[in-house]
Amino acid sequence: MRVLHIVALLLPLAGQTPVDAQKPPETAAAPTVSQVATKDAAAPISPVPTAEPELSGWVDFGYRWRSGVNGSLETYRSVVNLGEGPKLFGADFTLIDPTKRLFDSMHVRASGWGGDPYGSFHLDAEKSKLYRFDADYRDLAYFNNLPSYADPLLTRGIVLDEQSFDTRRHIGSYSLEMLPGHWLVPYLAYDRDANSGSGVMAFVANSNEYAVPTGLRDTTNLYRGGIRFELRRFHATIEEGGTTFKSDQSLYQSPGATNPGYLTTPIFGQTLDLTSLAAAYGINGTSTYTKALFSSNALPWLDVYGQFLFSQPSSSVHYQEGATGNLYLPSEIVFYQSEQYLVSAAAKLPHTTANFGGEIRPLKRVRITESWLTDRMHDAGNSSSLQNIALTNAAQETAQLLASSLVSDYNQTETNIYLEVAPHLTLRGGYRYVWGDASDAVFPQAGELSGAEQAKLRRTVGLGGVNFRPIQKLLLTAETEVASSGGVYFNTSLYDYQKVRTQARYQATNSLSVALDFTYLNNENPTPGIRYTFRSQQEAASIFWSPGGGKIGTLQGSYSWSSLRSDISYLVPQTLTSAVSNYLEDAHTATALFNFNLGHWGVVAPKLTAGGSLFISSGSRPTSYYQPMAKLWVPMSKHVQAFAEWWFYGYGEAFYPYEGFGTHLGSIGLRYMR
Amino acid sequence: MRNIERVLLFALLGAGARAQTPPASPYVGSETCGTCHEDIAKAFNKTPHHLVDGSDKKGGFDGKACESCHGPGAKHAESASAADIRNPGKLTAAAIDKTCLSCHLNQPTHIGRLASSHAKDLVACTTCHKIHATGSDELVVRKTEAINKQCEGCHLTVAAQFQKPFHHKIPEGSMSCVDCHNPHGSMKPAMTQSFGANEPGCLNCHGDKRGPFTFEHGPVRFEGCSSCHASHGSANPRMLDRPVVQQVCLECHANLPTVKTSGTIGVVPPAFHDLRSPRYQNCTVCHQKIHGSYVDRNLLQ
Repeated sequence: MRVLHIVALLLPLAGQTPVDAQKPPETAAAPTVSQVATKDAAAPISPVPTAEPELSGWVDFGYRWRSGVNGSLETYRSVVNLGEGPKLFGADFTLIDPTKRLFDSMHVRASGWGGDPYGSFHLDAEKSKLYRFDADYRDLAYFNNLPSYADPLLTRGIVLDEQSFDTRRHIGSYSLEMLPGHWLVPYLAYDRDANSGSGVMAFVANSNEYAVPTGLRDTTNLYRGGIRFELRRFHATIEEGGTTFKSDQSLYQSPGATNPGYLTTPIFGQTLDLTSLAAAYGINGTSTYTKALFSSNALPWLDVYGQFLFSQPSSSVHYQEGATGNLYLPSEIVFYQSEQYLVSAAAKLPHTTANFGGEIRPLKRVRITESWLTDRMHDAGNSSSLQNIALTNAAQETAQLLASSLVSDYNQTETNIYLEVAPHLTLRGGYRYVWGDASDAVFPQAGELSGAEQAKLRRTVGLGGVNFRPIQKLLLTAETEVASSGGVYFNTSLYDYQKVRTQARYQATNSLSVALDFTYLNNENPTPGIRYTFRSQQEAASIFWSPGGGKIGTLQGSYSWSSLRSDISYLVPQTLTSAVSNYLEDAHTATALFNFNLGHWGVVAPKLTAGGSLFISSGSRPTSYYQPMAKLWVPMSKHVQAFAEWWFYGYGEAFYPYEGFGTHLGSIGLRYMR
Repeated sequence: MRNIERVLLFALLGAGARAQTPPASPYVGSETCGTCHEDIAKAFNKTPHHLVDGSDKKGGFDGKACESCHGPGAKHAESASAADIRNPGKLTAAAIDKTCLSCHLNQPTHIGRLASSHAKDLVACTTCHKIHATGSDELVVRKTEAINKQCEGCHLTVAAQFQKPFHHKIPEGSMSCVDCHNPHGSMKPAMTQSFGANEPGCLNCHGDKRGPFTFEHGPVRFEGCSSCHASHGSANPRMLDRPVVQQVCLECHANLPTVKTSGTIGVVPPAFHDLRSPRYQNCTVCHQKIHGSYVDRNLLQ
């Protein structure tokens, strides 16, 4: 009977569970009139429509021609680098498995294969609630060879490929997330970044520099895995990871060849040269890291989040070098014929970051956010070296031990208050304080001048913002920062600055939208000896027009004007007199893209895309860069379209006219769709 | 006494039975919504949000995915009036975000959200995420070119910077804005991504600049790559801030070696660096390990 009493008492309690407006009852609600009217007609909606084809997507392939590069091929390769030949321009496929056996859906994308400078491949597959797999691979060509960048003989008219490289970088990223959507989500990931190629670098001897071939090869592997706990009011992620790094750069000059270097002026009647060189870096690095993140909205009026990150990369290097030639040691005014240089070095960089913050909603129209960040790192390095110089009648050995230290302690706290003045007007005001210390030292200083340096960072910033939507189709936003500093790390750092950004977006009609963007930054450091003034301003407008709902065509266009002026004092090294470094850039940028539906020509309905972009600047480095283009699409059948494309790349430099180029690229190809 | 107990028992049972009768629910369920909004329902069912209809038993929105954002729909179903349903598209950004974050707040990508400029400028989740995913709109844009196009829609001035001759290959579709930036926010300036735990996101592709070097170049660690490079694009080779290498270097390396008047880091080079000689005009010819050296304290090797 007592059991009966208890059951009787519990039944009403169970039944009286209130209906939460945010959490509807599990029990079936009484159907409304509309439901009754429509329920029979409405078939249950399947998550995956059965009518959908299993494989859908497209692939573009064809052939590209390039005209002769009218100008500098080196600059063309540095800026554009597109070649000719058969190409897989792009592909994009989705595969859906109606049986959902191995996966629900799989997406494959690829672009730029066939020797192009940036090929990519992406694959992702997922099975709902079981896994999500992402694979991403890129093959990038890095080429750079611009004499105006660093050629010490340029003024003599000698164009050297100094500081150049011709490499390919392979970047892969693979991740597997298990049980997505569950409260416990384990994941694993692997990233690889490998670079190899050749180039030219300077071998720096005591009194001369010699451009020599270099081989470049480095690889970074990143392994990581973690667990995410995702609950309704609480989340935490714990991740552990590690990397390995290997780099084997080498410099080499065959014995027998004579390299005069940059210094051609004889010293005491003798001309310096390099007759052979073999130098190799053997660099290895490892690191481990820990990442812990959490967030919680434990109370309806409070959200908090935090993170703790710690990494400790380390490296070790064994460098060896042997060189012969007529070399010179200025400190002892002596010529020598060969040198050997051995270095063993190591470095470690413990780096800790912590971040904590939250949002408080004390009133319906008021939100307060607060955040705090600290970031501390300390790079400690040491090296031991041994230099052996073979003089005419003797050998001279010099050993050196050095220790280095680079320390940074950065902190930041920020508060923002958001006030919803009216449903369409929100104001923001806030404050940020940034402080830190940095030091850079090498010991022993050995009488050198830049042995140890320290700097402090102290900055207060006032923050403001407004978000105003006077009508549904118009949105105006603005934000500003006004800062005052009591110390910064570098002469060109932000000091006393004012930053403004405004945006306007207007949806004039269903087929016409315009946007305006304005940014302004004024930074001044009045400290004697620096007197830095930096001012940049940029204004941009864009338009998107699709008359007739895009049936005729569409127009996308944008125009931007930017202005940048920088003046700062510096010391001329040879005289220690003060001078001013000026930089000025005034630039116009425009892009436009017209898509035309050319109507029906018999059974085909071709489409034309035309437009391009231009950049014209004046000031310290006047430059022009044009990229007009046109592309014609002609449908051949339900599944096949033909296309023809034309691009022109034109580049010009007022101060370095020999670096200009102009070239036409033409492509034809087919798109197969299903 | 036993009779009283029985009376009480039946009274309590009766009360329980009355309380169990649910009131008319303000919810109608997704199927009802789909009967009128067929296109939206079809497209929506291809997005991950459709899982709410099949599995959100904890949240209580199982079978009511539409109403998890739009609120109870019974009144709207009766009247078919737009005024009778919540339209997140017409709410304030904060209210839209609140709707989304009622489920998505506790996820790792949102750890730095409050510090992001998107949150500060009240850019609502739905600005980038088209929840219904109808037509060409997508819930989560994943294709490189589509991501870039979406970002450029607001960041017009940044898009213009990528038209400069030396730029990261965004216009070419080789990389996307989210390769470098986390649009949900990060603890780093400009919402940039990280490599590993707390190292700069630039190292995801430029692994050879990572170090740690035996002899570091301070600006790289203290202020990042953007202390010398215009990371979106530049008219200057190597995306440098200045067209001439010596200008990049000497603007910081300008302090007298013995007396630190300015309190900044960067000492003027020794006097043998005679800038009148072309040999000394391009600093990186000798100081070629400018990002940091494993071997040489003067960044020569």
